[in-house]
Amino acid sequence: MPALLLQGAAALATLASPGGHWRAVLDLAGGPLPFAISIERAGRAWQAELCNGAKCQRFSKVRVGGDSVVLENADYAATITAALRGDSLVGYYHNVGSNGPRTIPFRAARGRWPITRAPTSLVGRWDATFSQDLETSPRVLEFRNGLAGIEGTLISSTSDYGPFSGTTSADTFAIGYFDGSFVYLITGRLKGDTLRGIFHAGLRTQTPWQAVRSSGAPHLKSPTELTSADTTEPFSFRFPDLRGRLVGNDDPRLKGKVVLVDIFGTWCPTCHEGMPGLIELYNRYRGRGLEIVGLAFEVTGDTAVDAPLVRRYRDKFRIPFPLLLAGTSDVEGIEAALPQLRGAGAFPTIIFLGRDGRVRRVHAGFHGVAAGDQHQRQAREFEEEIEKLLDESVSGKR
Amino acid sequence: MLSCLRVFMVAVALVRPMASLDAQAPADLDRERLGYLTWLKTAPNSPLAAIARQPVGEGLRLGPPDANIPLSGIGEHRILRKGRALALETPSGTRPVSRGQAVRLGRYTLYLTGPAPGTALTVFGQEERAAPPGYYEYDPSLVFSGPLLPPEKRGTARVLAGDGTETEATEAGSVVLTLGALTRLRVLRIASGGEESELEIFFRDQSNGQGTYPAGRFVSLIPLPNGRYRLDLNRARNPFCAYSAAYPCPAPWRGNVIPAPVRAGERYAGGGLKTPPASPEIN
Repeated sequence: MPALLLQGAAALATLASPGGHWRAVLDLAGGPLPFAISIERAGRAWQAELCNGAKCQRFSKVRVGGDSVVLENADYAATITAALRGDSLVGYYHNVGSNGPRTIPFRAARGRWPITRAPTSLVGRWDATFSQDLETSPRVLEFRNGLAGIEGTLISSTSDYGPFSGTTSADTFAIGYFDGSFVYLITGRLKGDTLRGIFHAGLRTQTPWQAVRSSGAPHLKSPTELTSADTTEPFSFRFPDLRGRLVGNDDPRLKGKVVLVDIFGTWCPTCHEGMPGLIELYNRYRGRGLEIVGLAFEVTGDTAVDAPLVRRYRDKFRIPFPLLLAGTSDVEGIEAALPQLRGAGAFPTIIFLGRDGRVRRVHAGFHGVAAGDQHQRQAREFEEEIEKLLDESVSGKR
Repeated sequence: MLSCLRVFMVAVALVRPMASLDAQAPADLDRERLGYLTWLKTAPNSPLAAIARQPVGEGLRLGPPDANIPLSGIGEHRILRKGRALALETPSGTRPVSRGQAVRLGRYTLYLTGPAPGTALTVFGQEERAAPPGYYEYDPSLVFSGPLLPPEKRGTARVLAGDGTETEATEAGSVVLTLGALTRLRVLRIASGGEESELEIFFRDQSNGQGTYPAGRFVSLIPLPNGRYRLDLNRARNPFCAYSAAYPCPAPWRGNVIPAPVRAGERYAGGGLKTPPASPEIN
């Protein structure tokens, strides 16, 4: 009998450990947003990951005490606080904005999500129309099957929303994306040749949508239509580099070159995603006369705070072209720094300058790898534009 | 015609679910309140710590007694507008400042919030804070569900959100409920950051000034399956002007008056605005 009791105590001790894989959800008003968590010991401490399908990110800090588990994401001042109840974790997600906290119920069960594959009737590209308060706006939805089963991407005219993953059953699906800050869930049903569903953002925002198979015709607004620029004069800028030296559009390094001006922020995940591609373009075309200059629009506008962040960004990617501290990241900050731009607001935005220094094209936003075809098309368009501009003489003629 | 309208309105009115025997607040509401109270008590930008707030306009002087915002122990400082960007001028130089970013100034913390042209500067102090609000007992009879009726005309309205920020809100429609009498409440969609927004109702009722905030309270609609919504008046909350007279108070929304006392949600025991503002209703 004592031996049995000991066995029971040992079993309870095992159960009380939060280590292992967890099927997690945030309970939004419109349904559960699925994601995965894995928790493991790292020496005497704990570490944990948050995964959307195959894409994972590490929590910055994990605290385990008694039956309490706290997972912190310092980047977004966000925490998941949960109590271990047998084979469940029950608690809430919490982050703090400028006008108060946001709290969303959280729960998890031990194990991994079963892999469900998208049926062929769903796989592919759909032209969606979002409707809210009698206003409509276009999106593109793409479904495919990956290592973790059904995956999806939601694309707006300027960017994609991140890699979605989830479950599907017969003609319905629910795919989510949660990175510690963004809280997105797409639910829908296929009826006939039309998809209908709800896009859920945060705890309570719901936007109905419907979609039909993409015909191949452009559905989104072109990234070159969103932001425009004065093309009558050379594009003018002058900002300090990371050593405090002022660099302008008339710098000898840029004069007579085809220049890509990359408007970015170190706080912008899409900018991080786009940077390797820019470096690749730079390495490929530099010998033929391409230059790139990055204009950092940071949160504070305070050099003492911003310069170290931009240095870290430069070192992370080993960026071989100059990065300048251009201003603050709000629309007003961009317009004040670059008065020749109109309608700026997407990060990143890439401005293509001809050898005469004038704007030839403004590309707002960036479609990441998750955007599939859109990403490929964007890469092709960048190459074609650069090739065309490199072939022009300084006067703008071939 | 009138009787037809009434039948229609009754048919689409929000309905009250059967009152539960268990009158305890749902766990998610308890958690929300706990998180909110903790934030009010501890955050550097808690409205309970706000001591002054002014629109930036063309610029503001801070510090000396004759400044726009006098701050004890602080020398001459200015918030400047440079085009559409903002900067802080200090005795040692000028530096850009961003919206939403804390700026320390002695024992004060400054925040600039809201898009231009309505950007406002709020100053927070470290003085002892007022007591956080209390709540009425949960009343399950004040929970309604039903449809959101489409707006009579589409459009936007410039309103003050609960945090005193001037914002462009979208007409989202209205809900109809029977409480005291058949009442239609206007619903506006107010952006809350990124893709997120809230379907907000700013309403007055017969408890205002007698246990609840005199100028009215906000409550958000909660979406339910099948296109219906829950209106839980236990979630009614005060605008920030109830915590500190530094905040401007939203003008009441025309017609959003419930002809009965709503003794549910956030209470008010003074400390901010003592009397309702004589501001006009918004159309």
